[in-house]
Amino acid sequence: MSRDNQTLHSLAWLSWVSATLVALSATRNPFYLLLILLCVAVVSASALNIASAQQDQTSSGLQPIRLSPLRFGLLVTPLGALFNALMVRAGDTTVLSIPSAWPIVGGAAITLEALVFGALNGVMITGFFAAFAVLNTVVPARALVRRVPRAFYSAAVVTSIALTYIPFTLRQFEQVREAQAVRGHEMRRLRDWLPLFMPLLVGGMERALQLAESMAARGFASADAETLGATDQAAVLTGLLALAAGWLLNTMWGHQVAGPLMMLAGIAILALALRAVGRRAPHTPYRREAWRARDWVTVLASVVVVVAMFVPLPGLSRASLIFYPYPALSAPELDLSIVALLMCLLAPALMLGLPRR
Amino acid sequence: MRQVRASALSAGMYAAASVIGAIAFLYPFWLTEVQPTAFMGMAHANDAPLMTTILVGACLAAMIVEAQGQAMSAKLIALLGVLIAINSVLRFIETALPGPGGFTPIFFLIILTGYVFGARFGYLMGALTLLVSALITGGVGPWLPYQMFTAGWMGMSAGWLGHLRVQISDVGLPGLPASDQSTIQNRASRIELLVLVGFGLMWGFLYGAIMNVWFWPFAVGPAQQYWTPGVGALETLQRYAAFYVATSLAWDVFGAGGTVMLMVLFGAPTLRALRRFQRRFAFNYRPHGGSEAHPDARAEGLTHVAR
Repeated sequence: MSRDNQTLHSLAWLSWVSATLVALSATRNPFYLLLILLCVAVVSASALNIASAQQDQTSSGLQPIRLSPLRFGLLVTPLGALFNALMVRAGDTTVLSIPSAWPIVGGAAITLEALVFGALNGVMITGFFAAFAVLNTVVPARALVRRVPRAFYSAAVVTSIALTYIPFTLRQFEQVREAQAVRGHEMRRLRDWLPLFMPLLVGGMERALQLAESMAARGFASADAETLGATDQAAVLTGLLALAAGWLLNTMWGHQVAGPLMMLAGIAILALALRAVGRRAPHTPYRREAWRARDWVTVLASVVVVVAMFVPLPGLSRASLIFYPYPALSAPELDLSIVALLMCLLAPALMLGLPRR
Repeated sequence: MRQVRASALSAGMYAAASVIGAIAFLYPFWLTEVQPTAFMGMAHANDAPLMTTILVGACLAAMIVEAQGQAMSAKLIALLGVLIAINSVLRFIETALPGPGGFTPIFFLIILTGYVFGARFGYLMGALTLLVSALITGGVGPWLPYQMFTAGWMGMSAGWLGHLRVQISDVGLPGLPASDQSTIQNRASRIELLVLVGFGLMWGFLYGAIMNVWFWPFAVGPAQQYWTPGVGALETLQRYAAFYVATSLAWDVFGAGGTVMLMVLFGAPTLRALRRFQRRFAFNYRPHGGSEAHPDARAEGLTHVAR
């Protein structure tokens, strides 16, 4: 089975990550947070299955350094609880009192409420991290670069060159390090890195020179193409100003309708301007990602989650999304309709096959 | 006339994107009259990060599209791509072998390339270094637009600092004996390095201080360290200073100190290498029989060199 057949379209993955972030941001209810985390964990397990079947996901063989979301959560959640408990003097249920002689936190009463709220913040951050870890695992960097709008063509080419040259640069770093080691060079202080860094920099720029010559020889026409005219500049500027005005209306003066509408208008002007710029950018797609029914299902499921979080649908107790432990801890509400809608976050795992273990 | 209008619009885009971005980052410091609109004021806290992220993302997009639209030729694209690869490898190595506290080697090259190649190049170097290194270290997240924007500012302001170099090297050289000229040049180089060290020190702290602000208004904690709607600008500044000292200062000391050390130890040879390649990149391809240097070469400050 080819790689494309095993996974989802990168846009479908992006929509799932967006929905997960929205859901995590919209609630502090521990039941919902844990449910979202569970969904992300299941999808993450499916993603790892896919990734293990795709050893060639980075053609360079460069494996990204990734911290396990589980380890991250085990570190961040207790730390969040502890930090919040040390810093927040709120809550009725005192667990521990810190001697007043201690610096900064001396005299504080550590409350159960503060511990819980800090831990919930930690769980939310862990969810963020885990969702992006799934994206980083299952969507190759090149697929993300391909998703860059055409208006950012030059920036995308730069990013693509950088991603291509990273393995060469790492290899060159190793070669220089070995060469210096053979000559008896030892890495004891920061100064000792200079004989490694300079050949790396100079060698890299030599390669850039060759690459520039090759690009020009093959007719790379960036220098001749006017990608941003005065009309485009004016349109981008107008869109930006409209967006900022809408943001100010909403954030500073509390216009809950006019502000977002103005922001939407600004976004629309910006999008149109960038589209116009993008249409003039040369673009040759050699390999398109396939869009299948399961991608539609994932996107629809993501939309359902976002709607459930933001739109006051009949039959949904949106008040249950809010959980505030101060001043005294109380049991959070649970709405089974919201639970059912949040389960839509499992869509990628259901589409790709649930993990076997 | 057309050139003047394009330059004015370009400057307008930079100014607008920078000012709006700064307002979006720093609005807790001046936005003192927010009224809580729902339960415990949390309604505002829920939508504000999303809206601010959209605004910062739009500013970032506008500045990238402007910088790439005006400054990019095949030579600069290749050079920028390779320099970003080198800087990302440094971050990759730093992620694998973490330095103390907030030490990171990437600011060093962002500052020096911005300083040598100009503000637009510096902006793209900063923003895209953070993007590429996040892609290879699994660091993509909601913080990324803020990191890109802040690192872009770092590179861009280093480009403005580059004008200082021109002024230093132009001071009082004509008519002096060769030995005196050499002394003045050496002194100018030392001053230049000192300025860059100071600049690196400032950005080592500033980067951390700016990056805290994107989440600080929405964090919950003791009143004397956290923002609450309705407090005055001075009070907000005092609270932020207390928060920064309690949570970030020690971390950023390593970041700023590391950048300073790199600048002191590696700054001079790196500047020499970058300038040497700046001269080597000063060539322009033209069709057989052409006689004029391409306008882009002039726009980039490059001289026409036949190869």
